[in-house]
Amino acid sequence: MNAFYEVLRELFTEAAYSGSINYMFSYEFVINGFLCALIVGPLLGAIGTMVVIKRMAFFSQAVGNAALTGVAIGVILGESYTAPYVSMFSFCILFGLLLNFTRNRTKMSSDTLIGVFLSISLAIGATALLFVSAKINTHILDTVMFGSILTVNNLDMNVLLVTAVITAAVALPLYNKMLLASLNPNLAHVRGVNVHLLEYVFVLLITILTVACVKIVGAVLVEALLLIPAAAARNLNTSIRGFVLWSVIFSTFSCIFGVYAPMAYDLPIPSGGAIILTAAIIFLITMLIRMAMPRFREASI
Amino acid sequence: MQGPSINFKNVGLNLGNTQVLEDVSFSISPATIHCIIGANGGGKTSLIRAMLGQMPHTGEIEINWGENRTVGYVPQHLEFDKTLPVSVIDFLTMATQRRPVFLGQSRQRRQQITELLEKFGLSDKRNDKLGSLSGGERQRAVFVQAFMPAPSLLVLDEPMTGLDVAGGLMLLNVVRQFATDGGTVVWINHDITQVNEVADQLTYVNKTIMLDGAPGEVLQSGTAQKLFPTLLFSDLHAGTSNTAAEALQS
Repeated sequence: MNAFYEVLRELFTEAAYSGSINYMFSYEFVINGFLCALIVGPLLGAIGTMVVIKRMAFFSQAVGNAALTGVAIGVILGESYTAPYVSMFSFCILFGLLLNFTRNRTKMSSDTLIGVFLSISLAIGATALLFVSAKINTHILDTVMFGSILTVNNLDMNVLLVTAVITAAVALPLYNKMLLASLNPNLAHVRGVNVHLLEYVFVLLITILTVACVKIVGAVLVEALLLIPAAAARNLNTSIRGFVLWSVIFSTFSCIFGVYAPMAYDLPIPSGGAIILTAAIIFLITMLIRMAMPRFREASI
Repeated sequence: MQGPSINFKNVGLNLGNTQVLEDVSFSISPATIHCIIGANGGGKTSLIRAMLGQMPHTGEIEINWGENRTVGYVPQHLEFDKTLPVSVIDFLTMATQRRPVFLGQSRQRRQQITELLEKFGLSDKRNDKLGSLSGGERQRAVFVQAFMPAPSLLVLDEPMTGLDVAGGLMLLNVVRQFATDGGTVVWINHDITQVNEVADQLTYVNKTIMLDGAPGEVLQSGTAQKLFPTLLFSDLHAGTSNTAAEALQS
C-alpha cells in the first residue's frame, strides 16, 4: 500500500507545482489528510445511520474514551506512544464485548450500563495516566483526544483502510438484518436473523471503527462524526435511501471541508474540531429546514 | 401448499421463578385455523414464542414441515421509534432482501411488493413513513411482510387489535383463504365471538390447557361457561352473534 500512497502523493505534488490544484497539495501531510477524510467521511456517514437507528451514540462515545485508557496501557506496556494500536484495539474490543455481554445477561438499559462501564474505563485510564506521565509528555494525549489528521502516517492510513474494508465487507450484507433486528427483534428472529450475534458484530464494528479513527478525528470527536451527519440526514428524509445517502454526503463534506478550511483560510482551528463544527452547522441548517417545511410537521407531544 | 402439523408434548416454561406454562399438550392440524385464547398473563404469547424457538421451554414441540418451511409472523405491535425515516417499502425490503435497503429493490422484489401492497390495500402508502401510518395500516404492512416469501405456517399474535371493521374483515378473508389453500394458522385471539366464527380448533391456555377442541363443542362445555360467564352461548351456538361482516353490512 505504501507504494500506492507514494504514487498518489507524487501525482498530487506534481499537479500542485504545475498550478492545476491548490499549492497546499504539494505537502505530504495535506494529501494524507485528504485521503483519510475521503475514507472516514463516507464510512462514518453510512455506519452512523445504523448508530442512530440502534440508539448507540453513547456507546461510541464510551469506546472513544476507552481508547484513551488503551493508549495509557499501551505506553505502560512499551508500545509506541504515537500509535499504540495493539493496546487500543485490545482494550476497546474487550470493553465493547464485555459491555454487550453484560447487557444481554442483565437486560439492564444500555445507558445505565454504558455509564457504569465508561466510569470504570476512565478510572483505569486515570490511574494508568499517572504512570504514563512519568514516561512521556502527557500533552501527546491531546492527539488522542482531539485527533491530528495532519500527522497521520502510512501506518495510520493502512489501519484505517483495513478497518474500512472489514467494516464495509461485514456491514453491507448484514445491513438489512441489523435494521430489522433493531426495529423488532422477535420478527427478525422468526425471519432467521441471529439477533444476539448481530449485536456483537455491530458492537465490534463500531469499536474497531472508532479506534481506527481516533488519530484522524480524535477519541472525543469520533462519536460526533458518527452521530451528527446521520442526525442531520434524518431531519430531511422519510426513507432509508435518502437517510443513508445524505448522511454520507454530509459526513464526507464535513471531513473534506474540515481539513481544507483551516489551511485555505488560515484559521487557528484543529482539523478534528473543524470537521465537527462543519457537521454541526449542517445539522443546524437541516433543523431549520425541517422546522420551516410543512411536510415534516408531526405531533408536538 | 402443505402447512405443517404441530404437536406440543408436556411443554413447560419457567421464567424468573414463575411457572408460566405447565404440562401443555395439544396438537395443531395442517390446513386449519387454530386459535389460542386465554386470560392476560395466561402464557399464550410465551407458548407461541416457545414454538418459534425464542423461549427456553421444557417438553417437546414438534413441527412436521412439508416442503415449505417458511413461517409468516405478525406480532401484536410493531414497537419501534415512529420518527425513524423508514418507509413502508423500506420495511418490506429490509425484511425480505439481502441487498442493502438503501440500494433499492430488485425488479422481481419490487413487483412482488407492489402486488402484495395492492392486495392489502396499501398501494398508495408505499412511500409513506412507517411511523406515520395509522395502527391499522401499519398492521396491514406487517401482514404483507408475513406473506413474503409465501409461508406454510402463519403465526398471528392478536393482529386485529386496533383495526377498523373493514381492515379486520379484509385480513380475516386473507387468513381464511390461506388456510383453505392448505396453510396452517396459529392465531392468538382475544375475541371469542370471532374465534367461534373463524377457528377450526381452539385451545384455552391459562398456565395449562383448560379447553381444547372445535369451538362448536368446547364452547358449550361447563368449563367454557365458567370461563366466559358473560358470553351468550345460545347466540354462539345459533351463529347469531354480531360478526364483523354483519357489522360492516349494517
